[in-house]
Amino acid sequence: MTVSRRNFLKVSGLTGAVLSLGFYSPTNAEEAEIIKAVEADSFGIEMNAWVHIDTSGKVTIFSHRAEMGQGVYQAIPQMVAEELEVNLDEVNIVFAKGDNKKYGNQITGGSSTVRGSYKNLLNLGATARTMLIQAAANKWSVAPTECYAQGGHVYHRPSGKQFHYGELVIDASKLETPKNVVLKKRSDYKLIGKPLPRQDTKLKTNGTATFGLDKEIPGMLYAMVVRNPRLRGKVKSFDDTAARKIPGVKHVVKTRMGVFSTYREGVAVVADSIWTAMQAKKVLKVEWDDSGFEHLSTADIYKRQAEALQTQEGLPFKQQGDASAIIAQASKKIDVVYETPYQYHSCMEPLNCVAHYQDGKLEIWGPIQAPEWVQDYISKEMNIPRDKVIVNMTFLGGGFGRKAFMDYPHEASVISKEIGAPVQVVWTREDDATQGPYRPGISYRCEGVVVNGEISAFKVKLAGQNNSHWRGGGKDKPNGSASEGFLKPYFDSIKNLSIQDVPFETPIPTMWWRSVYASTNGFAYESFLDELAIEAGKDPLAFRKDYLKEERLHQLIDKMEEVSGWKSRKKNEGYGTAITECFGSTVGQVVKVSRNTEGKLKIDHVWAVMDCGWYVNPDTIKAQVEGCIVMGLGAATMHQVTFQDGIPVDKNFYSYQLPRITDIPPIDIHIMENDADAGGVGEPGLPAFAPALTNAIFDLTGKRIRKLPFSLASV
Amino acid sequence: MASINFNINGKDQSIDVDPQMPLLWAIRDVVGLKGTKYGCGVAQCGACTVHLNGEAVRSCVTRVGRANGQKIMTIEGLSENNNHPLQLAWQEIDVPQCGYCHSGQIMSAAVLLRENPNPTDQDIDNAMAGNICRCGTYLRIRKAIHLAAGGMQQKVGKNE
Amino acid sequence: MKQPTEPKTHSFRPIRTGIAIGVILTVTAIMASTFKTTDKLTEEDVKTKNKTNRAPINRDSVESVKAFASVYKVLMSPRCMNCHPAGDVPLQGDDSHLHTMGPKRGAEGKGLYAMKCSNCHQPTNTPGVHTPPGNPNWHLPPATMRMVFQGRTPHQLAKQLMDPKQNGNKTKEQLLEHAHDGLVLGGWNPGEGRTLPPMSHAEFTKAWTTWIKKGAYAPKP
Repeated sequence: MTVSRRNFLKVSGLTGAVLSLGFYSPTNAEEAEIIKAVEADSFGIEMNAWVHIDTSGKVTIFSHRAEMGQGVYQAIPQMVAEELEVNLDEVNIVFAKGDNKKYGNQITGGSSTVRGSYKNLLNLGATARTMLIQAAANKWSVAPTECYAQGGHVYHRPSGKQFHYGELVIDASKLETPKNVVLKKRSDYKLIGKPLPRQDTKLKTNGTATFGLDKEIPGMLYAMVVRNPRLRGKVKSFDDTAARKIPGVKHVVKTRMGVFSTYREGVAVVADSIWTAMQAKKVLKVEWDDSGFEHLSTADIYKRQAEALQTQEGLPFKQQGDASAIIAQASKKIDVVYETPYQYHSCMEPLNCVAHYQDGKLEIWGPIQAPEWVQDYISKEMNIPRDKVIVNMTFLGGGFGRKAFMDYPHEASVISKEIGAPVQVVWTREDDATQGPYRPGISYRCEGVVVNGEISAFKVKLAGQNNSHWRGGGKDKPNGSASEGFLKPYFDSIKNLSIQDVPFETPIPTMWWRSVYASTNGFAYESFLDELAIEAGKDPLAFRKDYLKEERLHQLIDKMEEVSGWKSRKKNEGYGTAITECFGSTVGQVVKVSRNTEGKLKIDHVWAVMDCGWYVNPDTIKAQVEGCIVMGLGAATMHQVTFQDGIPVDKNFYSYQLPRITDIPPIDIHIMENDADAGGVGEPGLPAFAPALTNAIFDLTGKRIRKLPFSLASV
Repeated sequence: MASINFNINGKDQSIDVDPQMPLLWAIRDVVGLKGTKYGCGVAQCGACTVHLNGEAVRSCVTRVGRANGQKIMTIEGLSENNNHPLQLAWQEIDVPQCGYCHSGQIMSAAVLLRENPNPTDQDIDNAMAGNICRCGTYLRIRKAIHLAAGGMQQKVGKNE
Repeated sequence: MKQPTEPKTHSFRPIRTGIAIGVILTVTAIMASTFKTTDKLTEEDVKTKNKTNRAPINRDSVESVKAFASVYKVLMSPRCMNCHPAGDVPLQGDDSHLHTMGPKRGAEGKGLYAMKCSNCHQPTNTPGVHTPPGNPNWHLPPATMRMVFQGRTPHQLAKQLMDPKQNGNKTKEQLLEHAHDGLVLGGWNPGEGRTLPPMSHAEFTKAWTTWIKKGAYAPKP
């Protein structure tokens, strides 16, 4: 089925004449051309139908991005409505289906929703507004400059005459699409920059938001899969005699799903209910073939990484000056290893997906971060033409990178095709926790020399799995994200600097996890900087300021000092700081720790200062940074994925313990005001937390923590 | 299979199920109310919290048989128009991010406020530590419960 | 063995001198039973009970103390101690770590607000590993009678079990019967993946009965 303009009308519930505008941006080009639906049809391309206005004045916006908590459900309409001059509560939003041709890159990742498309979205709203004003001016036979738009109406300033948008859409849709429309000034914004309520909140307070697991389609069966506890095994054989005897069990089939360049096999029990499938799963006997890959334990991995760091030089990522020679000759140097653990995304909604394969067509519904990747991948894997693969996004109960992957939709699709019926595959929490892909655990050897209070040499070598390898490439190149999180201006001010990647592989599938490499790099680089500052006898924040020779960063640091009381710290208080950058935004954090009357370490306060440039909704930003800090707290002090004999050990929250309400310190968030390009907000708040915390603990106790996670109680 | 009768959100309902089936799946897949969520299946996360005779049970480990002849309330039954003081406070503060855990969070908070209309931070901790929010909305949950408590007291004040 | 006469100087507290002979025994996994302090006996009751209880007691301090060694092993096993914590949060698991999510005792020992014991702990064990074990009467000792096991020496624990101020004024009968309390028995049906107490329930009952009937002597400090 080709998703044409007509289908969009159907989806949106719109009928008859509409003004329908969008943009076509297959490469996610920054400035795309705004075009009308009819033009798109005549060009034979699938238009990015972002916004429709019908004759009743109803505005419908299609969101091309997944909503997983980060607020795009609100940010996209907020941007379009601003330029379109309509009230937010008059705007409907519909999740667009996955379609690469129509929307360009739809992946909700890299904190890119706003920063990647805001200019196009503003242009879109402004173009529609300009056309509606022109249509009104034509009707009144006046100059458009005498008219203005507000609250879904066009007004003629001199006479006070007005038209509702609905009365103008037919005329407007006949106009040429104007080029170079004038965008509003930031100071004139009514919606952007305001902490407006999110449009999806009400759906999430009474149980009406439909998440993937809530999706039902007629005739749908439920599948649960018996999976190999090891990460790469194959099904040798299975005995389904007992499982098939359970009333309600319809099929037992071998299944598989792609995990990057490998496939993971399992045996699916398909039944009339989730509960029945769970019972059948318990009595299904599967024999696995676990040959052909190493069955590693966590201790093996870190031992090897440590050895590699001591015995090998890595592939050069960044080399300037002669750090290695200075370090070799130095009489006094810092030479330390930082270790970060494997992590699991642990979204509250376990993975699940509905698929219906019928007559050569496949339709998918699920909590999906990257619908067009799913469309693309499954089209190729299952040999179904791309236009016959339709991917629908539901709300996501958390994503954090895990749901930007194709394995679970692939698995659902394979099962549906196999059994010839619509099916929802449901992963248990245990499936979700033990199948990966995980964030890789990376070790860093940091060597540095300080002379006369200055960094004379700075060398970081990392050893850990490279996600690119799993995507089938880059084995001869250093990890392209070897310094992600580390502020680039340091490269200008640290003359002798070497960053190297020691190649390291295991059979454990790895992938992006909220803030990706910055989440591990940030801990190593920012702790190491702290060690260098202490060695130099300098205040850690002032030391950073000396090396970050950019006005925007100085303003950020000044703000950090101001809000945290950095300079008026008292005795028996530990203050630590870290500043990281990723996805276009810089976040500085200050953590304050102390000991309570029983001598137990406690986190008294966290201050975060976010510089994300131009932004849409400050409340969403604060919510995201709060969430990042909580997630960072868990990753730093509570949980890690460990392996024993090739099997992930932690299977559920009883051992993979997440932060709870009792664990959360007071958090204050400040947003820098400037007009720089919009940066991401969903991830950049995470990396600085762990090093700011451990630096604060050093400040209080003199104890340097170089391995995550650590228990606060043990300090 | 057995016939289980209960009152759910004010309506009497009879379902024919395996009495060992967790109440969670009976509510979601038999009764068809999807607001109650599956998170862990082992009473660790609280996403499945519903009220059984007013208590915030974890429906993933509560067998449906235990609910026979009893009263159940799910998030869908907490108020008629999404306007329980907690729901209003959640909306006012924009507590949810992904939103998946919040049915359970609100159902837990409802028991807290019923038993303690003016909770301290410590009371909130004592009530809410059984509900995990992976998005980390805890500070807003705390704030919203305080706001709802204030609202409830005002409401009581008006009625008196 | 010779029947011992009333010891003149020892650290044991002869039961006879006790006000009321109630001991709460709480042996099960996580439990604690609900003898409420509101059941306090009147002075008259106490006199009567002391009279009736005096005669049949066989005070063999050596046997009693020996039996208590077994009792102690059971009471300090995770199945019993986990619900007799030093603080107000129960313990969990064979390593007796603080219960995940930190549920609080509450006045009645049944938890607080949305974190009451029976919100997760069902009338029977939940199938599977790491699932909540069950009992219809799941609770900790109430706040007024905390009956802490965690950290207690044999001497302290024996004294505490016998101290009417700390044991909720149990009669000896209640105490003896308590070995058969449903929650106590639950300790021997702890659910998948949990170790059992170090001896059978029958052996425990025997030791318990012996300890009390022989005089409920406390081992030396």
